[in-house]
Amino acid sequence: MNDTVTQYSEQFAALSPVFSEGEPDWMTRQRGAAMDSLRQSGFPGQRDEDWRYMPLRPLTARAFDTDITGEVDDLPLDHWLIPGLESHRFVFVDGVLNDAISSNTGLSPGISVRSLASVLRQGPDALPGVSADESLPGNGFLALNAAFFRDGYVVDLDADLEADSVLEFLFVSAGKGKAGQARNILRLGPNARVKVVERHVSLDGLNALVNTSTRVVLEAGASLDYHLVETMGRGTSMINDVVVDQSRDSNLQIMTATLGGDVVRNNLKVRLNGPGAHCELLGMYAATGRQHVDNHTGVVHAAPHCSSRELYKGVLDKRSRGVFHGRIRVDQGAVKTDADQTNDNLLLSPDAEIDTKPQLEIYADDVKCAHGATVGQLDANALFYLRSRGIDPENARSLLTYGFVNDVLGDVEVEPLRDFLAAELSRRLISHE
Amino acid sequence: MLSIKNLSASVEGKTILRGIDLEVGAGEVHAIMGPNGSGKSTLASVLAGRDGYEVTGGAVTYRGMDLLDMEPEIRAREGLFLAFQYPVEIPGVTNLYLLKAGLNAIRKHRGEEELDAMDFLKLIKEKAALVDMKQEFLYRAVNEGFSGGEKKRNEILQMALLEPHLGILDETDSGLDIDALRIVAEGVNKLRGADRAIVVVTHYQRLLNHIVPDHVHVLAGGRFIRSGGKELALELEEKGYGWIEEQAA
Repeated sequence: MNDTVTQYSEQFAALSPVFSEGEPDWMTRQRGAAMDSLRQSGFPGQRDEDWRYMPLRPLTARAFDTDITGEVDDLPLDHWLIPGLESHRFVFVDGVLNDAISSNTGLSPGISVRSLASVLRQGPDALPGVSADESLPGNGFLALNAAFFRDGYVVDLDADLEADSVLEFLFVSAGKGKAGQARNILRLGPNARVKVVERHVSLDGLNALVNTSTRVVLEAGASLDYHLVETMGRGTSMINDVVVDQSRDSNLQIMTATLGGDVVRNNLKVRLNGPGAHCELLGMYAATGRQHVDNHTGVVHAAPHCSSRELYKGVLDKRSRGVFHGRIRVDQGAVKTDADQTNDNLLLSPDAEIDTKPQLEIYADDVKCAHGATVGQLDANALFYLRSRGIDPENARSLLTYGFVNDVLGDVEVEPLRDFLAAELSRRLISHE
Repeated sequence: MLSIKNLSASVEGKTILRGIDLEVGAGEVHAIMGPNGSGKSTLASVLAGRDGYEVTGGAVTYRGMDLLDMEPEIRAREGLFLAFQYPVEIPGVTNLYLLKAGLNAIRKHRGEEELDAMDFLKLIKEKAALVDMKQEFLYRAVNEGFSGGEKKRNEILQMALLEPHLGILDETDSGLDIDALRIVAEGVNKLRGADRAIVVVTHYQRLLNHIVPDHVHVLAGGRFIRSGGKELALELEEKGYGWIEEQAA
């Protein structure tokens, strides 16, 4: 065990009686197993192929404080709201739901949004799928989350229910040096439809970790429009792990927008388990200063006649670094698969860097798989063209950058969110340092 | 309006302009003609402030200001407009957005209020009619997928909107069929006025049938070898550039 794991081990011994209180025994056992797994395997290191480009030290050199209260005074909530976005909003502070500052009344019947902490206290049978899951966490960060999580959202939509408003989950990191670790569950019954906006924010200089794990299950014909918006301040790093299982004819659009944070890692895995399922993975990342943004995606075509489309666009300025690793696996029998993956990058500075890597594993015949990656710079001719129309160089750069990511932004149907992302993009790339 | 004195410029160490003198007054239309490689486009680029052109001598005064000392966007805001020979495609940015950003930057510079979306839309629709441009082009990405003629029309639309004091048209006729040429020329003619000067840079005389210049200058080897009235263009058309180059030699 290294020092960091020892520190977590000590925290676990001290705190687990507190957060296990009232939880069913199976959950206490799962937490213990996760902690054991962390003790044994530790955190990933640069020698692990999947993590080799990640600067892991800021995340693993010391233990973050896992003693979370979720209480907070004086949160500048208004500062983080998206103008014009009408939503049912649930605010989590350091990964714990804070009802007092949420505006979550008036949900339609058939939509249930609960706090995981409260669900777990409803009795041993409250989460049958989760209680039966005896698999061990796949890496040290997932183990940390499974051992220490305090809360998260549990969303269930009844069959055929079409949610009329956006569900917004606002995760605020507020405590200095804390690790906010939510565990979320999002389940859509057959033919249900909903739009979800999940946001992660923090003030500058917290030295905090966000370590989130989300499980999504789409039953037959369900349709989810899921936006992950990561606009944390400087001094907050993040690991976000999302796993989606899709049944036949279900439809997923997931958009990951990473604009803030120091070191951010998104692990997104989508399994297309039933024929006719379709997923669209959109990504937009913009980094500057010494930010690091790492997107690992994996799409598994496990059934025939499924399609996946993946489009990630990144803009990297100053000494920032981006990583895109897109895996597509087509299982035996997954005939008529149609998979497409594109990663385009714009480097605004000679010191910025992108490592992009597609990985296709195809075990079936009669499939269509395409992938492509590009790295480019701002077009000097275009820049001069805009300046010759009276636009100053900063705005010209911002306009061209916006134009570059616009085909990802254009697919965001929630209009206030699209405007917010466009504004954040130019604000962060232009005003940072 | 514009006074160029003994202007020399080089590109990548190669001298292109070798002592240009030109006086353009308000209300005048000047045509600058010349064979390929004579320095026409270099002159247009130097006036607009494009990177990569080094001024090695001379001076340019524009409306009393030292033009060469101004950033490209300041030149634009002070009323200088370059219609590009090769208008640039900008994916992801609508024509409307570019036009509004440009117009408002210029209005702000002049101390005028920025136009709101409604007023802007009304204005741009008026201007689009001037160059016979369909409104759908306003909502498309800047020049993306535009034909050659549509791109040049878009340049003139921008000029009509930005209402410059000095418009420089760099080979606006290149790549245009006769109908497109007529539309573009009519657009330019509507913009002629007592307060506005226009410099038309062209290889061929045919554009000057539609935009009739007050003065014609012939550029060869980086300097003007002859200046005259509109009839000079006709003479050139008939006899070719070789004739005048021989005369100058």
